[in-house]
Amino acid sequence: MKAFEYATARSLDSAPQLATDNGHYFAGGNDLLGRMKDYITDAKILVNIKSLPGLDQIESGRDHWTLGALVTIAQIENHPGIKKVFPGLHEAAAEVGSQQIRNVATLGGNLAQHSRCWYYRHRDIVCLKKGGDTCYARHGDNRYHSLFTGNTCISPVVSNLGTALAALDATAIVRRSGKEARLSMSELYHRAWENPLAHNSLDPGDLILKVEIPTARGRSAYLQVSDKHAFDWALVSCAVAAQVSGGRLRRPRVALGCISPVPYQVEAANDFLDGKTLDEATVSKAADLVLANAQPLEFNGYKVPLAHALIRRALLKLKG
Amino acid sequence: MPSWPSETKYISHDVLRIDAPEKVSGRARYASDIQANGWLYGMILRSKWPAATITKINLEPALKIPGIKAAITVQDGERTIRFYGEELAAVAGATKQACLDALRAIQVEARPKPSFVVNEDIAKAQDAPRVWEDSPNTTTPQVHEHGDVDKAFGECAAVSEGFYTTPVQLHNAMETHGSTVSWTDDGVTAWASTQGIASVRDGLAGALRLDHSRVRAITEYMGGGFGAKFGAGVEGVLAARLSQAAKAPVRLMLTRFDEALAVGNRPSSFQRIKIGAKADGTLHAFQMDNYGTPGIGAGAATAGGGGAEIPAPYIYRVPNVRVKQVGVAVNAGSARAFRAPGRPPASFGIESALDDLATKMGMDPLELRLKNDPSEIRRREYKLGAEKFGWKQKYKKPGGSPGIVKTGVGCGGSEWGGGGSRYTQAEAQINPDGSVELRLGVQDIGTGTRTVIAVVAAEMLGLKPEQITVKVGDTQYPPGPGSGGSTTCASVSPTVYDVCNNALAELQKRTGVADARGDNWFAACKKLGVTPLVVQGKWQDGLSSSGTGGVQFAEVEVDTETGLVTVKKITAVHDCGLIVDKLTAESQINGGIIMGMGYALYEERVMDNLSGVVLNPNFETYKLPNIADVPDIDVILLNMPERGVIGIGEPATIPAAAAIGNAVANALGVRVGSLPITPAKVLAALGKVPKPVASAT
Repeated sequence: MKAFEYATARSLDSAPQLATDNGHYFAGGNDLLGRMKDYITDAKILVNIKSLPGLDQIESGRDHWTLGALVTIAQIENHPGIKKVFPGLHEAAAEVGSQQIRNVATLGGNLAQHSRCWYYRHRDIVCLKKGGDTCYARHGDNRYHSLFTGNTCISPVVSNLGTALAALDATAIVRRSGKEARLSMSELYHRAWENPLAHNSLDPGDLILKVEIPTARGRSAYLQVSDKHAFDWALVSCAVAAQVSGGRLRRPRVALGCISPVPYQVEAANDFLDGKTLDEATVSKAADLVLANAQPLEFNGYKVPLAHALIRRALLKLKG
Repeated sequence: MPSWPSETKYISHDVLRIDAPEKVSGRARYASDIQANGWLYGMILRSKWPAATITKINLEPALKIPGIKAAITVQDGERTIRFYGEELAAVAGATKQACLDALRAIQVEARPKPSFVVNEDIAKAQDAPRVWEDSPNTTTPQVHEHGDVDKAFGECAAVSEGFYTTPVQLHNAMETHGSTVSWTDDGVTAWASTQGIASVRDGLAGALRLDHSRVRAITEYMGGGFGAKFGAGVEGVLAARLSQAAKAPVRLMLTRFDEALAVGNRPSSFQRIKIGAKADGTLHAFQMDNYGTPGIGAGAATAGGGGAEIPAPYIYRVPNVRVKQVGVAVNAGSARAFRAPGRPPASFGIESALDDLATKMGMDPLELRLKNDPSEIRRREYKLGAEKFGWKQKYKKPGGSPGIVKTGVGCGGSEWGGGGSRYTQAEAQINPDGSVELRLGVQDIGTGTRTVIAVVAAEMLGLKPEQITVKVGDTQYPPGPGSGGSTTCASVSPTVYDVCNNALAELQKRTGVADARGDNWFAACKKLGVTPLVVQGKWQDGLSSSGTGGVQFAEVEVDTETGLVTVKKITAVHDCGLIVDKLTAESQINGGIIMGMGYALYEERVMDNLSGVVLNPNFETYKLPNIADVPDIDVILLNMPERGVIGIGEPATIPAAAAIGNAVANALGVRVGSLPITPAKVLAALGKVPKPVASAT
């Protein structure tokens, strides 16, 4: 990798200042260091944010829980309260990478990670996402790519936690220009939907501080299928969450990962499910609605039936 | 004729590896652990173009980087590059980072070729860009024919046709290719990760124009080799030249990225098979058209891409056969030998075709094999394995398993040659204190060769394996074989038998002890006085043979909604003559099955048509089985002492993919004819995948 400077931020004010000149925040480093080693990301300075106070806490609450951005994936996976209150988040965390990765990877880093597209990640390919003029995947091997996108790049978001948190309607609290901005998961990723260069909606200097998860949806679930049984990226992931009372869904949300640059949600499907009881026909119709506008390419069409199955199965898990 | 003892204490028993403490404690030194005095890192600059003419390489900027001690080109003057990743230049420096910076500083001027080809089907076309300017991409078809195939198909009660394909597989040994090389006035010493220390010595000597006597190759420990680690290699020669230029030892180990590009692979295969049988199931006619790519060609610069042919119809004897095969050159790294070259793809093709034929005939595929397998041993293995596996209870008609997650079973057989190298020699030193040192110029590539040597010596001398000091992996020891073709065990075992016999006889003669073995050993050795006994031995006929078989049964679960395949159980029955160490033999089979499972379900080198690069030069997207993927494996070994020692490394991996593929087809009721069997392909075979949208822009 190229030489870089290194500094440790001690306060929320100093972190963005230290990072002003092509700085990158450094916590778990799983994604960032890999990109730097492959000369995909240049950084003049790495700003260690692991000493920032108060960002490594999991705080429970009646209306919502707050998870600091420095909470590790392993902490989320192993937290008994999360397993009980947000089972979908627990399941999503448990599927991230390997145990070793989960031990150091953080919530903030998982949300802000870059595309895993094998063209984007290739050291000798300058694709659209890197400022080139071609999306190689569109005409090449797109087996791991998106069914939905609002732009020309078809690399999907792969954050398990982003998908689970979208279903739970969580809010990311981001420090932006000295203030706290509140972004829904849709807002956190929206820029990647429109702009091929973007992986998320964060500007340089923006720092994810924490995530607020409302407790309103008492049931949640997450499922993914990969080529392998462990330590493999999802081909498709699906998270669902809802309040279930009297057997009926209230405020249900379905989110898909790895099939779009954003955690993919369709309001028509969520609206359709609202008030419904869970049965095969209902969940199948909901899956149809989510996948209605899928644009399968040469090698990723299998994601349509796979997503359909995962939506149905995840929703049925909400029956408890 | 010598013969193995009939009653044994160690041979054919479970013996722990004698070097296990070294390995688990980290004391075992691999090529990348060598800390030669003043050593430097070495790294290779590779082509970013899949096809180009290199006109100029300027090393000056690299030499200006602090810490860089040497920079060399692979070849001077204009040269043609034929694949992404071909070696251009190399640097040596004090730190990894200095070398990385230096590689980026080297200025390469090139005329990239406007067109190239990395896909077999595109490369076959008449107007395809040529990989080699002066010859077409396809070889002259190799045709093998006997009987009258066209007539014979007319005589068949059932005929099945299918298209079975296998991908290019990468070796990806745990330890990458590479070595530490020191070139001084005294000569060259190479600590190499190699399957053949002699081939490294001879290769380096040839490339550097040195006498063999001035080159020494050492492999104390090795992290695996599957056929792609013979000879000095481009990287070995570069390390030596860098060492000469820098006047310091150079450690040049390839990266995982490098491994995917230029150090070998298993060729792909695209097998169109037609097979027919008489009403009683007797195979009567077989026809195959196959093509596959060995990259730019197997071996050094083979114009026209040879080396992708596979044996067909492999283990079966069919009276009417027509086989036509072509190799297809593409702009990608060359194939090299890979664990049972040709057999895993051959096995997948023929065993798949056999099951499809059985389906057509309404026959149990095991019955079809018992009817047609010409090997008496393998038929015995099928019967034994079926019993242990529970074939009768588990087998259902294809697609007969109810529900969304379906179970299925399948099987397949393997055949391999093996045999020992008659030129293997050994030296034994018996010391007056009773300690024993055996020296063989063979290498233990991780298979347990050290332990095998100790087991045989302990048996012959009446000692314990841990009392034998085994010295291997040095060209200064008596010559041994390269570890390829599953020949090592059958080479060293008879040789150790001989040298121990000779040592024992000499010891007894010298000391007058009638039987110096076992309890008498130390007293006898003491009588040697102050001079150790050094005795030679060589490979003896009659203690080893060749020709092994094996069968494997697989049980899988397939989720018909997600396409995910889970292997639940593998039962493997193999023979390898006299088993030397049961534990390490079983280890070979476990490893072979897991490798075969990777071939069946996960592994595939993916090339990009537009850029010509390998898209998955890493373990993130070149997928290998994890422990979570590995099923319950039941290994049954037939011990056949009367046949002598036969190797088992290669036959162990051959039928796994075929058995798994057949189990998947049995579960689904439709064939997934293409490896790896991914969720995407399962869903496609089930007709669940929508067509691509018309516009992909």
